[in-house]
Amino acid sequence: MSYTTITPADAKPVANYKMATRMEGGRLLYIAGQVARDIEGNVLGVGDIRVQARQVFENLRQVLQAAGGDLADLLKITTYITRLEDFPAVAEMRRSFFPGELPASTLIVVQSLAQPELLIEVEGMAAIG
Amino acid sequence: MDRRDILAANPVEQRRGYMPGVSVDPGRLLFTAGMTGRQPDGSIIPGGMAAQTQRTMERLQAILQHAGAHFSQVIKQLLYITDMEAHAASGRAVRAAFFGAARPASTALGVRRLADPAMLIEIELVVDLPDSPAGRPLLEKYNVENHGLDFAQGVIVNGGRLIYLAGQVANNPDGTVAGVGDWRRQAEKVYENIGHVLQAAGATPAHAVKETTWVRDIPSWRQHGPDVRRAFYQGDYPASTLVEIAGLAQPEFLVEIEVIAAVAR
Repeated sequence: MSYTTITPADAKPVANYKMATRMEGGRLLYIAGQVARDIEGNVLGVGDIRVQARQVFENLRQVLQAAGGDLADLLKITTYITRLEDFPAVAEMRRSFFPGELPASTLIVVQSLAQPELLIEVEGMAAIG
Repeated sequence: MDRRDILAANPVEQRRGYMPGVSVDPGRLLFTAGMTGRQPDGSIIPGGMAAQTQRTMERLQAILQHAGAHFSQVIKQLLYITDMEAHAASGRAVRAAFFGAARPASTALGVRRLADPAMLIEIELVVDLPDSPAGRPLLEKYNVENHGLDFAQGVIVNGGRLIYLAGQVANNPDGTVAGVGDWRRQAEKVYENIGHVLQAAGATPAHAVKETTWVRDIPSWRQHGPDVRRAFYQGDYPASTLVEIAGLAQPEFLVEIEVIAAVAR
């Protein structure tokens, strides 16, 4: 692992994520916001947050693997959703991809993503190698 | 300067003007503040999305040039847009002209409003800089304009260890929310939490490189947040971005702030 998990005594996360990560070595990978699009650019799971969330985290993993890493190398993720009521389904799907603890994490409800059909977008940074 | 463009197995992004991922050997990195179509007199340039995007990119170019960098070295761009359709119609092409063949990793968000209600787009960048960090100070915070506001337009990290904080909210260690409905108390609690996290990571507020402040209401934040923020940074500000969004993880949260910091290796 090329990072240290920071665990402050006086501030706690509101869920199962790291409060901060400090990169100690390796390559820094910036990942574009991942959305539920297929190779043709079509949006998958229109209106279905579970299908979109699964695809987004699959895409995230693919980019990490293409860079020689995996989900465990993530320093931080930011999850953007368009409807707060989707959060429980997103959190559940996220847990299946991160069985332990999430990286440092931020959750934001935005007005919209790049296309109106998109319900979730996740971006991240990772320390590879 | 050892950039690798990362394409996943399904490189749908390749045709869309950005890369799924970009990795670098983080020798020297530049983080810019979120830049907008603001003019020297503080007003927003007239002419809509195309004009604002052009002005924003020119200002970013000046920040890059100060660091000896070019748009081809951008590894990440974050776009905050209040009118997604206008951006697709007239903003995207303006941006593309600055990037040429270069493809950064990218995220585009539709947000409710930016610092000034007239702003249609705000862009921030992370840039991989040439040359060795040896013999340089850990952080170089600078401005290319006399904007008189409480942030640096560019912050260079020379060979430091980056610290990525989770977005900090006004939660108490026992999980309850501090200052429900109280902007000032939430601002205090958020910065208190950021201080604890930085300390645990071996850093101080002066080590903050980039700050993103997500608020439910910019006028309310303006009334209560800046004093608390000023007391926290004491004049030594990071590059920053302020955005109004539709919601946070819990309805009680009024503000969430995330910080990137760096300490010496």
